[in-house]
Amino acid sequence: MTSNFAPPFAEISQVWASPEEHAAVAAFLAHEAEAIDSRDFATWLSLVDDEFTYQVPVPRTPDNPFSPHFDSRSMLIDESKWSLESQWFRRLDLDLYELSWAENPPVRFRHFVSNIRVRRTDDPKVLDVRSNVMLVGTRQSDAPKFLTGERSDAISVVDDGYRLTRRWVVLDQVVIDFPQLRIML
Amino acid sequence: MIEIDGPVSVLRRTWGDEEVFARELERVFKRSWQFLAHDSEIPEPGDYVQRRMGRDRVIVVHSEDGVIRVFLNTCRHRGVPLCRADEGNTSHFRCSYHGWTYANTGVLRGVTYQPDVYGRDGIDKSELELFAPAHVDTFLGMIFATWDQDAVPLREYLGDLTWYLEAIMGKFDDGLEVVGTPVRNIVKANWKTEGENLSGDGYHTMVTHATAVELGLFATPKDLEKLTEVVTPRFTGRTVDCGNGHTIRVQRLPVEIESNQYWGYPEEMWEQFDRNLSPGQQQVMSALSVCHGSVFPNMSFIENFKTNVDGPGLHARYFRITVRYPISATHCEQLWFLLQPRNADQKWRRLSAQAYLRTNGPSGMFEIDDTENFVGISEASVGEIARDKPITYLGGLQNPKTPSEVGWPGDVVDGDKTEKTLRAFHRQWAVMMGDNEVVS
Repeated sequence: MTSNFAPPFAEISQVWASPEEHAAVAAFLAHEAEAIDSRDFATWLSLVDDEFTYQVPVPRTPDNPFSPHFDSRSMLIDESKWSLESQWFRRLDLDLYELSWAENPPVRFRHFVSNIRVRRTDDPKVLDVRSNVMLVGTRQSDAPKFLTGERSDAISVVDDGYRLTRRWVVLDQVVIDFPQLRIML
Repeated sequence: MIEIDGPVSVLRRTWGDEEVFARELERVFKRSWQFLAHDSEIPEPGDYVQRRMGRDRVIVVHSEDGVIRVFLNTCRHRGVPLCRADEGNTSHFRCSYHGWTYANTGVLRGVTYQPDVYGRDGIDKSELELFAPAHVDTFLGMIFATWDQDAVPLREYLGDLTWYLEAIMGKFDDGLEVVGTPVRNIVKANWKTEGENLSGDGYHTMVTHATAVELGLFATPKDLEKLTEVVTPRFTGRTVDCGNGHTIRVQRLPVEIESNQYWGYPEEMWEQFDRNLSPGQQQVMSALSVCHGSVFPNMSFIENFKTNVDGPGLHARYFRITVRYPISATHCEQLWFLLQPRNADQKWRRLSAQAYLRTNGPSGMFEIDDTENFVGISEASVGEIARDKPITYLGGLQNPKTPSEVGWPGDVVDGDKTEKTLRAFHRQWAVMMGDNEVVS
């Protein structure tokens, strides 16, 4: 069996961030979502650590209510900053977008990020940030579709603000009904 | 004189008409062998997964006696599903309505309050086993079932495709295993569309997947010169009609090599491939660029070699099975299985999984570009005028037959951009549908 994938933090910390830190992190997440929704990838990449990884495990309905509703052995998405920059975003560059059929015209994405919880970890430079995310996707003239999930982010504190270091998202829907699965949740 | 090997014209209603769809459920899905699961998903007694045959939900279970069985997921009593989870392990299935309980062999074991409700001898439990398909069989670990009592045995059904499936799935000493729970999603396209494409459409690649070429995911002369000395100008390929609607396309890397090169796998595995494959099968697998095909009606497979997937010089092969459950004429549910060789190097397995996810995975760039085409076909085929217009499958009629001395079974042609396999699919479809009006 392949090695299991895991969320950024095995244990949930009991130490909450201060209200000021909470507000600053919430603003950071809003900025990050704005960059993605407006396809401003240069800005988005500037908010992300060079070692950033983005993983979405495969959602499932297990037979035991105490088991997680995802399978940590298999991924729906497993990307790095390198792959996002050179494979996902590169397709929307001026010289390529006309051949990026699924993204021309692009699905319109809109993030709704709520229930943000900011906790301190053993490392003073790393925050455990959880949030609920709803992503709405609208393809061409179709009716919008939406997905919901729980994000678990590792966010590092740096001199000029924050950087997103890891993102792990557990989706709620098992048979995913969305215009496209190349999604930044 | 050109030999016509299958329908060259199919009316567009085939991709969007509910009446055609209703007949498919009756004539295709009630009578065909269908792929359900891989035995690695249910290795222990009691393990089960929930899948579909047509629109019926079925439980695929590894029974206590070691036999793999398939049951309609519904109580014999009043029709409530017995199993609500996608996967799990249980010795019995118990109905939540009145509590009838079945062993995982399908035998009705317990009827609650039996004397009160039915009298002492009022019900014969032996006649109330779970509903089961007529036949269940496995090939290379793949579990198939059919409702057709008169179906030919699975191996006979798969016919010449077995030889190619052995080349792909039978080359590993320790076999393949499904990696985790399959991804499931709704695709707003007819269930046949992706299967047609994967049957062997080498024609669309350079257009639909032009960005993947640009991003270095297809081997370039530069990539290949680092692997071998003689690089030739053109990729070559063969397409094969294996009978009964089953097909495969095999594309080879543009190289001249003196010994087998299974690039994309760790080199320590190559020796087992030579040992486990016949010379003809080695020829299929050595210097493979990609091979993909379809098992009629709704399963497809692909083994693909992709380059620079996690940085320059990082190349890997992966193997995927997909299956499409019919929902309506314009919607299907797709399942995605990544299969990897058991006990292979962990680092390679991660790279191979990433290669898959970034290209032929559900969020991969190949799939999102393909899906836009597949969705569009149904969208553009439902109108009153369009539905009676034909789709044309004339590609590759001129391709030369591959000499039988080459030793590849089936009706094989030398030609990488053909529609031969699409004609093979629609020939079988027309036979099962008994339809001479739509196909010509």
